[in-house]
Amino acid sequence: MVNENLVKDVVKEPYKYGFVTDIETEKIEKGLNEDIIKLISQKKEEPKFLLDFRIKAFKKWQKMKEPDWAALGYKKIDYQDIIYYSAPKQKEKISSLDEVDPKLLETFDKLGIPLTEQKKLTNVAVDAVFDSVSIATTFREELAEHGVIFCSISEAVKNHADLIEKYLGTVVPASDNYFAALNSAVFSDGSFVYIPKGVTCPMDLSSYFRINSGDSGQFERTLIIAEESSSVSYLEGCTAPMFDTNTLHAAVVELIALDDASIKYSTVQNWYAGDEEGIGGIFNFVTKRGKCLGKRSKISWSQVETGSAITWKYPSCLLLGEESVGEFYSVALTNNLQQADTGTKMIHIGPKTKSTIVSKGISAGNSKNSYRGLVKMGTKATGSRNYSQCDSMLIGDQASANTFPYIKSQQPNSEIEHEASTCRISEDQLFYLQSRGIEFEEAVSMMVSGFCRDVFNQLPMEFAAEADKLLALKLEGSVG
Amino acid sequence: MKIIEKIKTNKSDNNLTEIQKICLHKLQSSPLPNPKSELWRLSNKSKLSTFLDYSVNEKDSKFEIPYPKNYQSAIRFIIGENCQIQLIEKNYSIQQLSENELQKYIKEQISFFKQNENWSDLLNLSLSCKNNILGLKINGSKIPPIEIFSHASSNSLNAKTLVIFLEKNCDVELLQVNLGEENSSLSQSTFFCLKENSTVNHGVVSYGENRSNLLNSLNVIQQKNSAYNLGSLHFKFNYARFEISIKQSAGNAKTNIKGMQITKKDEQISTYTKIEFNGPNGFLDQINKSLADDKSHAIFEGSIIVPKIAQRTDASQLSRNLLLSNLAKIDTKPQLEIIADDVKCKHGATISQLNEEELFYMRTRGITLTEASKLQLSSYFQEIISFIPISKDKWDLLDKLLNEN
Repeated sequence: MVNENLVKDVVKEPYKYGFVTDIETEKIEKGLNEDIIKLISQKKEEPKFLLDFRIKAFKKWQKMKEPDWAALGYKKIDYQDIIYYSAPKQKEKISSLDEVDPKLLETFDKLGIPLTEQKKLTNVAVDAVFDSVSIATTFREELAEHGVIFCSISEAVKNHADLIEKYLGTVVPASDNYFAALNSAVFSDGSFVYIPKGVTCPMDLSSYFRINSGDSGQFERTLIIAEESSSVSYLEGCTAPMFDTNTLHAAVVELIALDDASIKYSTVQNWYAGDEEGIGGIFNFVTKRGKCLGKRSKISWSQVETGSAITWKYPSCLLLGEESVGEFYSVALTNNLQQADTGTKMIHIGPKTKSTIVSKGISAGNSKNSYRGLVKMGTKATGSRNYSQCDSMLIGDQASANTFPYIKSQQPNSEIEHEASTCRISEDQLFYLQSRGIEFEEAVSMMVSGFCRDVFNQLPMEFAAEADKLLALKLEGSVG
Repeated sequence: MKIIEKIKTNKSDNNLTEIQKICLHKLQSSPLPNPKSELWRLSNKSKLSTFLDYSVNEKDSKFEIPYPKNYQSAIRFIIGENCQIQLIEKNYSIQQLSENELQKYIKEQISFFKQNENWSDLLNLSLSCKNNILGLKINGSKIPPIEIFSHASSNSLNAKTLVIFLEKNCDVELLQVNLGEENSSLSQSTFFCLKENSTVNHGVVSYGENRSNLLNSLNVIQQKNSAYNLGSLHFKFNYARFEISIKQSAGNAKTNIKGMQITKKDEQISTYTKIEFNGPNGFLDQINKSLADDKSHAIFEGSIIVPKIAQRTDASQLSRNLLLSNLAKIDTKPQLEIIADDVKCKHGATISQLNEEELFYMRTRGITLTEASKLQLSSYFQEIISFIPISKDKWDLLDKLLNEN
């Protein structure tokens, strides 16, 4: 018999990214109205089309209602009690990384993010976003040689306005949902990637999001465009300090893949999840969607969700191009009082499109973990296929695991397969491992890691190692 | 929608039974289900309003029993016709439930009702008059098979209610047949209470004629060590909903469900199941098959709820669907809601068409395409049909289905 208390004691590793950087920031007043949006736009010296986009989105948002269909319970968000723009004070223009406030560099250093040039060896280009603004983007010149544009979205608005105007809001329209509309109205910064025709991006691109202030929301927007026959792998990481209040994070990510292009988007989300009593933590409402516009294009989402008090996130693929491919690999871990309602949408529109969904949910403590997915075959999706697998693992008898797959088909010449199972860590397996001299904790972590193997295999190498460690840490003490 | 207007304006009528009054009162505050709720969102609104457009008929016309007439060994009931019964034999007894027992049980059930989930039952109980409620208490074993018919006549809405108590250690085979004539609406609610150690093989066969409609709801409560086996088949309805709610009140019970729905033309047939485990060691094996052709729409939504108390539950649910036409639609949503950790729960869903390789194989052996498709369909149907009690040996459902396909 497994000792339940032992299991519960094993997961109490404190959140190690919970520190606050003491830095002077420029914040605007709390609240949301047209003037605030104009102020944000003005601070960022945006062209008129973007201001119009924001105002239009704001008007739509005012008419929308916060969605309540997810299996989540949280206290009502007061949207007027949030600061919508907060930026570290710094010199007007930064020409090199040396001019960035050393405190900021130190912060990212603590987080293990290679911003400084001596860490070049890692061969990952990073865009670091601190509260509302992007601090630095590394490896720009090298990328530029290949024609790759990798910069913050504010810079892209200034330097590549045509691309922004052409693609912004085409995958996730401003009126798509409540949180996407809010983001479209007030988004502050984020990353922009453009891979020109025929280019395979020479290194992994990465952006790192850090929320530092307790009372400001973070609304970043990411736009990735992969032109014909190009490919890119993009990594995203997030952390936040520990505050007793809940911070709102409402991001939008849009991916566009043209003919034969491929985009791989990986996320390790480790926002602060609140303490054991459920006080504090990030409310994470994210709209991520990729559009496979071109023939044989491919978008692959992989995510490891371990943080946030509330997660509401459904990275999706619109499969328009003939023979386009959508993939979704996810591990969602919830502990204590965390709640996650996450999954994906695979909308098959074009013929011979294929999608794969592999979702692994682990619920421990008093948490709630739901998989919600939609697979839809449109009338023109002849010869299309989908395979979904979602497994849940329950740790302790207080956690809940739900599965809500919605499956719709209007095309007889297509195939959909869905499987789901729920299990717990088998006592026999634990006993076997322990009898071979493996410590209880290690045995549990080995089994969890084995359970998630299908997903970890899809992550870029440095992420996979991190994810494995992260899971082990998060689970310590919660296995029963 | 005549019925809704009538419900709204209905003042307390002295002819109504107490149960009818309670349900009417509940419906008056919100006479229709919320079309945005998960259970009703896919339901065709205009078809539902057609259902409600006929006026209520409390005495329906005579009809032909679709069985060979010389079949004698079954005990046959027709709801609305012969509700007086007292059969006491050596091994078993079938008795009518007393007025008090019936009222007490139905009232208790109503207290758990939710507006959207049990709207069909509320409607049924508010319309079903005393004569159209059949209440039976079944005891003993070696009981001859029982057949119960519900029928709706043309151009009217008939509401029929069936309440069955299976006493301890009872073992019975029971086939329920719901028949709809052309342009008719049938509202059928069934309440089953399985006491300890009882077993029932329950069959539900519903079939209609041109433009007939059906709201069929089935509420089962299973006590310890009981076994409930359900085989169901729904076809030829312009609009049909089959709502199943099964509660294993103290766990330790077994439930097997095999259901099928076949839609053609512009029909819409849906199955909603909700299975709750309120105790440990529950078992469920469920399979639901749909076949959608022409411009029709088949829907399946199944939820399995395993609260903390239901440790060691073993539940599996499978939804298999065949989509045979470009204009047909299939929606399926198997759901799991689990809190207990020591459980084995799984579900699966597939949507596809007939297997091309198998068809090809048969054709290379000289079997025509039509014959080959029939063979495939017959194996698809057979799994379900063989699970429906009684009917299999005398009413060739399989032939009936295949000849119509």
